[in-house]
Amino acid sequence: MTKKLALWAAPLLFVAVLFYLPLGRILGLGLSSDWLQIFLQSETADAIWFTVWQAALSTIICLLLGIPGAYILYRRRFFGQRFIRALITIPLVLPTIIVAIAFSNFRDLPAIPVIIAAHVFVNYSITVRTIGGVWATMDNETEEAAELAGAGRFRTLISISLPQLKPAVVSAAALTFLFCSTSYGIILVIGGGLVHSVETEIALSAVQLLDLPKASALALFQTLLTVVAFTISENIVKTSIGIEQVDEGSPKPSIDRRDWAAVAFTVLPLLILIVSPLSLVLSKAFMFDGAFSIQNFVNLSTRGDRQLLNISVAQATLNTLRNVVISTSLAVGLGTLAAWLLSRPSKTRVQHFIQKGMDVLFLLPMGISSVVLGFGYLVSFGSGPIPLRESWLVIPLVQALMALPLVIRLVYPALLSIGNDHREAASTAGANASQTWWHIESRMIRNVILTAIGYALIVSIGEFGAASLLAYGDQATLPTVLFALISRPGQTNYGMAMAVSACLILLTLAMVFAVSLRKRPSLRQQVQKARRLFSSAR
Amino acid sequence: MQNAFKKIAIAAGIASMAVASLTGCAAAEPINHEITVVTHDSAVFDETLLAKFTKETGIKVTQVKAGDAGAMTNKLVLTKDAPIGDLFYGIDNTFASVADENKIVDGQMTAIDFGDVCFNYDKTWFSTHEQAAPTSISDLTKPEFKGLTVVTNPATSSPGMAFLAATVSVFGNSGYQQYWRALAANDVKVAAGWEDAYFTDFSGSSGAGDYPIVLSYSSSPAFEVRDNGESQTESIMDGCFRQTEYAGVLANAKNPSDAAKFIEFLTSTEFQATLPDTMYVYPAVDSVALPEAWSTWAPAASAPVGGELDIAANRKTWLENWSAILGE
Repeated sequence: MTKKLALWAAPLLFVAVLFYLPLGRILGLGLSSDWLQIFLQSETADAIWFTVWQAALSTIICLLLGIPGAYILYRRRFFGQRFIRALITIPLVLPTIIVAIAFSNFRDLPAIPVIIAAHVFVNYSITVRTIGGVWATMDNETEEAAELAGAGRFRTLISISLPQLKPAVVSAAALTFLFCSTSYGIILVIGGGLVHSVETEIALSAVQLLDLPKASALALFQTLLTVVAFTISENIVKTSIGIEQVDEGSPKPSIDRRDWAAVAFTVLPLLILIVSPLSLVLSKAFMFDGAFSIQNFVNLSTRGDRQLLNISVAQATLNTLRNVVISTSLAVGLGTLAAWLLSRPSKTRVQHFIQKGMDVLFLLPMGISSVVLGFGYLVSFGSGPIPLRESWLVIPLVQALMALPLVIRLVYPALLSIGNDHREAASTAGANASQTWWHIESRMIRNVILTAIGYALIVSIGEFGAASLLAYGDQATLPTVLFALISRPGQTNYGMAMAVSACLILLTLAMVFAVSLRKRPSLRQQVQKARRLFSSAR
Repeated sequence: MQNAFKKIAIAAGIASMAVASLTGCAAAEPINHEITVVTHDSAVFDETLLAKFTKETGIKVTQVKAGDAGAMTNKLVLTKDAPIGDLFYGIDNTFASVADENKIVDGQMTAIDFGDVCFNYDKTWFSTHEQAAPTSISDLTKPEFKGLTVVTNPATSSPGMAFLAATVSVFGNSGYQQYWRALAANDVKVAAGWEDAYFTDFSGSSGAGDYPIVLSYSSSPAFEVRDNGESQTESIMDGCFRQTEYAGVLANAKNPSDAAKFIEFLTSTEFQATLPDTMYVYPAVDSVALPEAWSTWAPAASAPVGGELDIAANRKTWLENWSAILGE
């Protein structure tokens, strides 16, 4: 028990110092008696209503498209599958201005449908990978039996697969909802600053008007929304069926004719919502003076038109990679640890309650405005004991903080869904908790951990906005270089910015693809190996 | 048997160590002759000149970027008791009174550069459509320019705010709302930021958008010179708003005397001459010559407007009225 408490200390200390301390400071500064009045203003109410419904609608569309996508990309087998899995994650790393350029073909449409389409573009992979990661570990037999008994693919999905996938589906929905409800750049840029959500209202009141009471009141609402979303998702999951068998290593059946509906529901959104916007960006990277050219990439070796950049693109890439390594290790290490601790069976009601509390505690950083957090850092880490705001470390640390809830949301349901049987069996065989983790649990959910690593990478490469709101020195990264280029007139700068986007796209593809290329031993080999280990240990 | 547990503990401990090591840094004494200059995101210092400054004065300079002019001003207000640097560069005249009221400046603010927010139009578009280009901001409300103009949102972009102020100056407190209603009726497009307006909507830039008239700067045409030696764009020299950017020593700065030396450096002829090339703005020191492309294609506005306005005091009201007209 004491050991467990010691293990809790690391992730708790991390969120306490890097999230709750600065958040508390800034909310304290904004504390005022006008809070109630702020919520009664009609524009606040409108912003809240818009935030909730657009996030809900975006989430529903993501699920409708993501479930067939997860089936095709994780449950079937075909050539190029891993490449497509990596491809769909790219929208997550692109800075908003590039997302807006990617969607510029839709600019004549009304803003709100385009905002929702862009939210689907960015969050599609979260749904696909969260559900797919778990689906890949599910046993084929029940589904096959249902098919033999004459059930079609759709009926099998509804009556067999989905009930088992419920924790993953709910987890994916909760993540997507939170991402969409705190979306800032997409709503701002596509909406021309005329569409108001809670997040854009916070940014306007904090950054432009320094209206801290309003920003704090709205940030508090975001906290509330996160807790509500969490509670609802917990209540849905409570009644779900655990996945009985895990058979990750088994080969998946290849795609056949009966999968046509799922294929259609995967290929169409892929082409319309992912491939075509991305190709538009790539094609602009290879355009110079109205003709196909690699001139933009050649220009990247310089420092921009008229020495615009005070850092070379190569140096910025190295900074990005360094930040990515630090933040990914922290997020995956601490996140997996927290998920593992959360998934231990609770013996008493009090323990259960504490565990749920911890769960929310780690989720909250995802639901809070990065503007508010950025201001919190400014007032908390100036002088005093932690002069973090002037250190380059602040960026990877914030990135790790943002990736942490994502890692926990991915790993925790996977650990729950493998059930207690394996743990109990291992324990009977004489294994202690750590052996069970390293030899059994971690291997069974390896796919999910790889997905988590992939996401931590993505959050770090793309920066997710929070980093740009903090003050920092010459530590330019690829996204900040891109911004420096695109905020100046002239075709050289524009072309270079497009070339930097292409580099971001390729870097992400390479990293996410590399992570997915690990040879996995079959379950049988794992079990045999584990048996040997435990019997010798005994 | 305990090995694996140790592994977890070590992995987990990295976080607390990272935090702990930062705590350690705090003990270090501030080294003399080091200054931090807080700038907006677009500020660039010429490296060779900066190295020369350090060599001559022994002062090491760190730049901290703190968002756009508005975000930077508000961050400086928020941290005025423990400022994030020794001096700032880039608070403009639209935010100067905020800086004054909150007493974040130690002494005077010094003008370093200026930029003129003007409309640009795509000359190629107007010649292919055999149409006369607009010559004033009033023209933009006329039927022949319906659906041709893109502006930026004053709530989210500083040129947008500058143009809103310009309309108040030109049409008066009683007339500016009328002007915006006419613009809205003439299908003006509102973009969130300059980047979107200029590179995605404007037809005269590399983004090749659909709108031939854009709110930008008088200097922008210098960067759209094509192979034929002509700029594809030109500024409408009416209703231009002059944004003057200032530098100043921050109140409670650790090293105010070295910060003051850096402000001297910013006003030196040598540094001023780099401003058009590195930051796309005009030098505030009159005697400094402009690059050739600038004098040909990008002269400063001859009669900028809005200098008389108290923008900080009116910002909220103007924005509310503007949102009521253009908001959805």
